[in-house]
Amino acid sequence: MIGARTIAEATIRDTIIHRIDPRAKILILISTVFVAVALDNPRTMFLLFLIVLSGFALAKMPAIKLKTLAILLILLIWGTIYSQALFYSQLPRTVIFTIISPDFPVLGWLTNGGLFVYEEGLRHGAIQGLRSASILSLGLLMCWTTDSRDMLNGLVGLRVPYSVAFMVVTAVRFLPIIITEVTTVITVQRLRGFNPKKFGSGIIRTTLNILTPTLSNCVRRTGTLAVSVQSRAFRANTERTYLKKLKFSEFDKAVLTICIFAAVSIVVIKLLYNMYTSGIYYTSGLRPVYAIARGYL
Amino acid sequence: MKNIALLFLVLVLALEPAAAQAQEDFEPEEMTAFIIQAPHGVVENGLAAGDSNLSAYVFFETYHNGNMNVTMEIDVPEGFVLQDTSLHSFSLQTEYEDWYRLIDIYIPEETPPGAYNISASAIVDVNGSKHSIVRKAQIRVASKEEIANEISVSGLVIPSDEDGYGDPRRPSNTLVIRETSPALKKLLKATELQIDREELISTYIGVEVSNKGKSTVSVIVTYDILDIKTGETVKAYKPDLMGMSADAFCNAALKLPPGSSSLASIPLYISDNAMGGDYLLRVNVKLTGSDWTAVKHDQKITSISRKWGPITITFVSILIGLAAVSLFFSRSKEIMDRFKTRNLVLISLFGTVSFAAINLPMTILWELSHAIFGPFSFLFTGLFHEILLYMLIASLVVLIPKPGVVSLFMLVRFLLGGFITGSFTPITFITLSLNAVILELMMYTAGISGKNPDPENRFRMGFVCGIAEMVSGYAGFSVWMVLYRLFYSEWYIIANILISGFLYTFIGAWFGISLGNRLKKVAE
Repeated sequence: MIGARTIAEATIRDTIIHRIDPRAKILILISTVFVAVALDNPRTMFLLFLIVLSGFALAKMPAIKLKTLAILLILLIWGTIYSQALFYSQLPRTVIFTIISPDFPVLGWLTNGGLFVYEEGLRHGAIQGLRSASILSLGLLMCWTTDSRDMLNGLVGLRVPYSVAFMVVTAVRFLPIIITEVTTVITVQRLRGFNPKKFGSGIIRTTLNILTPTLSNCVRRTGTLAVSVQSRAFRANTERTYLKKLKFSEFDKAVLTICIFAAVSIVVIKLLYNMYTSGIYYTSGLRPVYAIARGYL
Repeated sequence: MKNIALLFLVLVLALEPAAAQAQEDFEPEEMTAFIIQAPHGVVENGLAAGDSNLSAYVFFETYHNGNMNVTMEIDVPEGFVLQDTSLHSFSLQTEYEDWYRLIDIYIPEETPPGAYNISASAIVDVNGSKHSIVRKAQIRVASKEEIANEISVSGLVIPSDEDGYGDPRRPSNTLVIRETSPALKKLLKATELQIDREELISTYIGVEVSNKGKSTVSVIVTYDILDIKTGETVKAYKPDLMGMSADAFCNAALKLPPGSSSLASIPLYISDNAMGGDYLLRVNVKLTGSDWTAVKHDQKITSISRKWGPITITFVSILIGLAAVSLFFSRSKEIMDRFKTRNLVLISLFGTVSFAAINLPMTILWELSHAIFGPFSFLFTGLFHEILLYMLIASLVVLIPKPGVVSLFMLVRFLLGGFITGSFTPITFITLSLNAVILELMMYTAGISGKNPDPENRFRMGFVCGIAEMVSGYAGFSVWMVLYRLFYSEWYIIANILISGFLYTFIGAWFGISLGNRLKKVAE
């Protein structure tokens, strides 16, 4: 559990990545999500993935986090490969393994003609897995290089209502306490003879046995906490002041401008290209744009 | 007796000129139409290749209003092999009655190049009077290499317009698979009508064929769309239309004078079940009436499958999500003021518990089980994810039966997930926001939350949560397919949303009521 907490918490260092304003990080992440979703060219997707990974090198991430990242990426990409190998529905496709034969009683009918592993699906899954991998990697880089309080300041800076920010702060603050409580309850349940790994109805019983005391504590804590925050003028004034003022540096501005410009350009180019291929809109003046989309995006 | 002999003589003398008149009146060239085409469809000189079959066409029609017996003999040059009988006899009884046959002839490989005559001679018997008519068709026999060198596909445009010309508005060598409108499908099913071939036409293929030879060549242009790997014909690109093979519609006949080229436009039909991907378009050019393919021209094409259903669902889901977020941001003060501070604290703590009990273990467990069980991991992960999550949601609604509770809970989960595990993904945003909107609406409509809330009906809670999860689950698959370009079989999606989406959620919500009631006692 301590290991999990170490992995989940941010590693605070003084690197170029750490110094980026949390608002800029959130906006860079959103821009990257748009780019990752818009791209189709495997080489460009791989390039995006490498760019994101280079951020970990710049942030000088500790080995445990890099290991975690590697494990998560391997599992994520393999999961996508696995599912796409089974469901790939483009031609050509080559069956390399039959899981359920079309003649297999009931299942053959249920699966609408059997279930196979397709060679081309493996490749497709690997390519498409890069998309999720880029998003996940950048999300983790953002989390691991930003203190949760700074992140919440960033959210408030991006006009997220303070009450919501407060709720998230509360959730973040109580996370270690609740994790500890859940661990304690599981230990107590084990001592009383319950097996949390018991499958079937055992899962529901175990869940209820774990959740009831944990949530009961939460309910009890709610009253105390509510009185505590209200006594400190929570929601008393519409305007709030903050101890730490966020400020974009010149570097932040430059990176953010590049990211937003790249994201908007790529999304617009892809949109125009898709409109062209779908027969919705075409103009001869955009031919170079179509060529870029077809060749590189 | 003398009188009888005289009468007979008069009768003979009277009838003989009449019969002679009738025979003189029958002009075989004018009273019949007799045509031979070799190969079939070629009016003038035809072309044939050695070691191939050709079909000659023989047609006979009478304009004589009376009985006519015809004996027809087909005569082919020495060495040619007539695949049918050379002699045909038939009887025509009335004006405009006709007879025709396609005669298959094999031309051996060793046939020397040159001009050959195929003749058809008809002996027409009208009232015992016989007339002979002869027709000849000249064909030029050339070697396959010679013909193949003369004819070529000089241009291939896909997709093209109805005249075979390229359309710059559409990308070259790319097909877009259009879905037949679900409304149209329903209408056709209701009215028991077949889908007309015009509705299936996807585009046209423009084929330009050139003839560099010195004689006129008639050709038939056809195409096949093949699996690029196996070379097998893909049926979905040549579906049966109105009970007939698409080959009957997907061809074009061209007559190519010496040194000319001509453009043909061939319709391309694509059925709904066609798959996207890379294909090989093979254009075949055959001499008219011959079974030998003179020219084969291959072109790699790409087919793009646009499933408008998932695209529409994704678009609508994004709109709903953005609308919900915009509404929340624009009216955040009014919305948040409706909750007491202790409500907000409780929601955030429930968010923490859900994150600690579901998201954190699931970050690894989800991916691990996905890696082991593949797409079937939902059977296992759903037990934790759906049951636990809906236990928490249902119990929270029992504790605070107000509209907006579920949305805030989802918001905390989304932000927490984003901060701790970096899961700020479009899928998470869309599915969570859609799930929140549907749950809020359904709970309010069902009376679970609102002015006089009744959140303790297990069946109602289970049903509402189950349906909401099914809808957001289905939308989630659409988003995966559209934004992440992933494929999922329909049966898998159905199984997933029924088992994990409804069943597990129903169980979770059912037990969540018990949990909520226990917590209520603690709160009181």
